[in-house]
Amino acid sequence: LSDGTLRFCIGALASAGLLVAGYLTYARYAGASITCTTGGCETVQESSYATVAGMPVPVLGLLGYATVLATAFLVSDAARSAGAALALGAFAFSAYLVILQLAVIDAVCDWCLVSDAIVTVLVPFTLLRLSAADRRPAR
Amino acid sequence: MKSWLRGPRAFALAGVLALLIAGALVAASLTGSSDGQAAPEPPAALDSTETSRLLEGVPQNGTVLGRPDAPVTLVEYGDLQCPYCSAWTHEALPVLVDEYVRPGKLRIEFRGMAFIGPESETGLRAALAAGEQDKLWHVVDLLYRNQGHENSGWLTDETLRLVGSSVEGLDVDRMLDRRGGMSAALEESRASAAAAGIDGTPSFQVGPTGGRLRRVPIESLDAGALRPAIDALLAH
Repeated sequence: LSDGTLRFCIGALASAGLLVAGYLTYARYAGASITCTTGGCETVQESSYATVAGMPVPVLGLLGYATVLATAFLVSDAARSAGAALALGAFAFSAYLVILQLAVIDAVCDWCLVSDAIVTVLVPFTLLRLSAADRRPAR
Repeated sequence: MKSWLRGPRAFALAGVLALLIAGALVAASLTGSSDGQAAPEPPAALDSTETSRLLEGVPQNGTVLGRPDAPVTLVEYGDLQCPYCSAWTHEALPVLVDEYVRPGKLRIEFRGMAFIGPESETGLRAALAAGEQDKLWHVVDLLYRNQGHENSGWLTDETLRLVGSSVEGLDVDRMLDRRGGMSAALEESRASAAAAGIDGTPSFQVGPTGGRLRRVPIESLDAGALRPAIDALLAH
């Protein structure tokens, strides 16, 4: 896969993540009910784990996806490393959140699972981009 | 010249940064949640002044608030542990009661959901049992006004007794005894919500009384979110 293709895939995935995080952020601040097939979205959103250091988790997601999207626009080794670090970090944090939903909150938010899936797919793309850099001239 | 940020060094740096990011987030999450998990406090004596003012003189029949011959029906799907439902009850319900229910234009039907947890069902059974004494709306309003953190152990028999004793004319023992007989009503609410595609609370349906109800998505928790749908039916 060329760097251009990888950047396009990473950008598309980060944009999808932005939409999901944006919807959950909107629902939180507008007080709107969340369209939810599992019936657990509001339980999760209203649990004590829905904020981290005073920041709602969907807002954290917005910032994370926006930063990953920005790295997809940049062609530099620093952007590749930052993209991979963010994707891996988000993947680990998402895994923690899934465990919380299943074991502690006892409710599952399907929008969160969609975001988890996006993050999971982002990881191999950002790592491929990082390894592909070795075969290109330095920038 | 080869950049230093390549090869194993780049992977190591990404890995370390990822660990730092995830570690900081998990630590902040765990610290924040333990701060927020204070032991549930039983509510102090309840002030039922607002509830009494809201519902005084408004007819109730089972789950319905308002005159039976009101031309328009609003159905509220709510979970007694849902904070947004509580906010709606504070902000929108008093306005709707004053503008539409008291003048006999609107009747509001409460269809309880119990999806947040077992305490939702505990409260809902009591509210439905109070409905047999035409006091469901008093119990629902008082529970929303004194709502605790979901599934924290706030909605106990003690809470229900406190709520019940704040409602004038309600036989509290009878309400508590009758809770077991509310399974059919609970199932009816659940089936009606499923048929209407209700997947969150609060959710609303509006329609001509006795006619077909349609779901009204709300953008905010104030009365303005439902006014256009109600006014359109009244103008019809």
